[in-house]
Amino acid sequence: MIRVSQRGISHVLVSVLGWSCLLFASSVFGMAMPPQKPTQSVAAGSNAVMLKADDLRAAPDSKSTLLLRVEKGAQVRLQVSQGGWSQISSAGYTGWVRVLSVRIQNKDGIELSDLGALGKKPQGNVVAVAGTRGLDEKQLGLVSYDAAEVERLRSYVIGRQEAEQYAQAAGLHARDMSYIAAPNQ
Amino acid sequence: MTGFGTVTHKGMSNMKPGFLWFVAVGTVFGMFGASLVQADDLNDLFKGYLKSKIAPPAQEQPVTASAPATQEVSADKPADQLLKALMGGNVSEQEEVRIGQQIAGNLLGAAPLVRDDGLQRYVNRVGRWVALQTERPDLNWHFGVIESDDLNAFAAPGGYIFLTKGLYQRLNSEAELAGVLGHEIGHVLRKHHLKLLQKSQGIAAIGGLLGRKLKNEHEVVQNLIGNGAEVVARGLDKDAEYEADRIGLVLSARAGYDAYALPAVLAEIGHVAKDDKRVSLLFKTHPLPEDRLSHLSDAVADTLDALPEGQSGTGRFYRLR
Repeated sequence: MIRVSQRGISHVLVSVLGWSCLLFASSVFGMAMPPQKPTQSVAAGSNAVMLKADDLRAAPDSKSTLLLRVEKGAQVRLQVSQGGWSQISSAGYTGWVRVLSVRIQNKDGIELSDLGALGKKPQGNVVAVAGTRGLDEKQLGLVSYDAAEVERLRSYVIGRQEAEQYAQAAGLHARDMSYIAAPNQ
Repeated sequence: MTGFGTVTHKGMSNMKPGFLWFVAVGTVFGMFGASLVQADDLNDLFKGYLKSKIAPPAQEQPVTASAPATQEVSADKPADQLLKALMGGNVSEQEEVRIGQQIAGNLLGAAPLVRDDGLQRYVNRVGRWVALQTERPDLNWHFGVIESDDLNAFAAPGGYIFLTKGLYQRLNSEAELAGVLGHEIGHVLRKHHLKLLQKSQGIAAIGGLLGRKLKNEHEVVQNLIGNGAEVVARGLDKDAEYEADRIGLVLSARAGYDAYALPAVLAEIGHVAKDDKRVSLLFKTHPLPEDRLSHLSDAVADTLDALPEGQSGTGRFYRLR
């Protein structure tokens, strides 16, 4: 649980005023400054839960000072995610855990995208809307082959060269990386 | 796994005199010890066959009867080759694509492509670039966004990949799109759906018809995949989904994107109410997003630590109105 302290109050501020205030609060309270803009749209100061136990570190680096071990299932506040790291507060400490160790929790009926974040257009209520076109087993079992749509699909197919040109123009560079094995159960 | 069946609208309309279709309804079969047969005169002929080949109750088991001699195909025609390949587990790329195309065409029969050329071209560029990072770069990869408010994505053998408009509208960046497409590409690479079809009891049932000759290749493929596009609604086992998540993450990272974009999509999907109809099929056929995130987290551990940050491509992302 989070202690209500001066530090805690600063987090409330952050959640209310957003990213620009996080920068301000960071400088006032001496929190580690993220070197770059966050790459993920994450609401500042959101309720979150630890998906797995992880080390809370002073900086977004596995070699930085260990502050605390945060247990799986612990309720934390998540400030921001940046690359592979998320800044969280837990038990009065603020530090960094791996981004995949923590997950934002939403309140009933409120979506992540509605919580502020980075200019995302709200997609409407989560309540199911009657009359929307769904895809259930029954419907899928009744359909038949649509040759004209297959032809249309084919018309959009592009070759290797065009894909490579696209990537080059976008500044995307292929990187070597091995497939990841299943975790040991 | 759902039952194996055929009799689509198209199948019915294509029926010619002499083509006798009959449906064995498992429940009825179980109760009365006989199949519910549409072609009564073949009842006795096939009853024994059905009893021996089609076991479990509560599943529909339509089976296509033999064609008349004039329309028979010889043993070395594509239809029989395909059957033999499927039964033997060594399907050629051409046959794999043939099966995938049938599933894709049926799925498009349920949900056509979104009428937005810019969107479809964009998705093909990103998808093909991601697919180039795989061991099957030269497969003729097809990508499409289909008209549905559901949140879902589909893969069919041979490189057919679809995502719904509903899911597309939830994405925030090109990296997230790459992650989703990468997951589906993973299913194609590992031939998850092809293996599912080969394992299905339907293949055994068709196998029994090998000597009797199905009308043509189209019929064989449609028989194999069952009713319409129902095959895409069959769940793969959880490990196949976790594997596709790991592959999707790696492929998007290889393609130069932010490796954490796919987990971000999973987190986003996890915020949709579990009883929302738009995710009912997705959640029925996949582990819940929190379990997928958890598995991904355990698998990734520190493997991405040395990886330079990738692109999110938010600015390039094609937004639907």
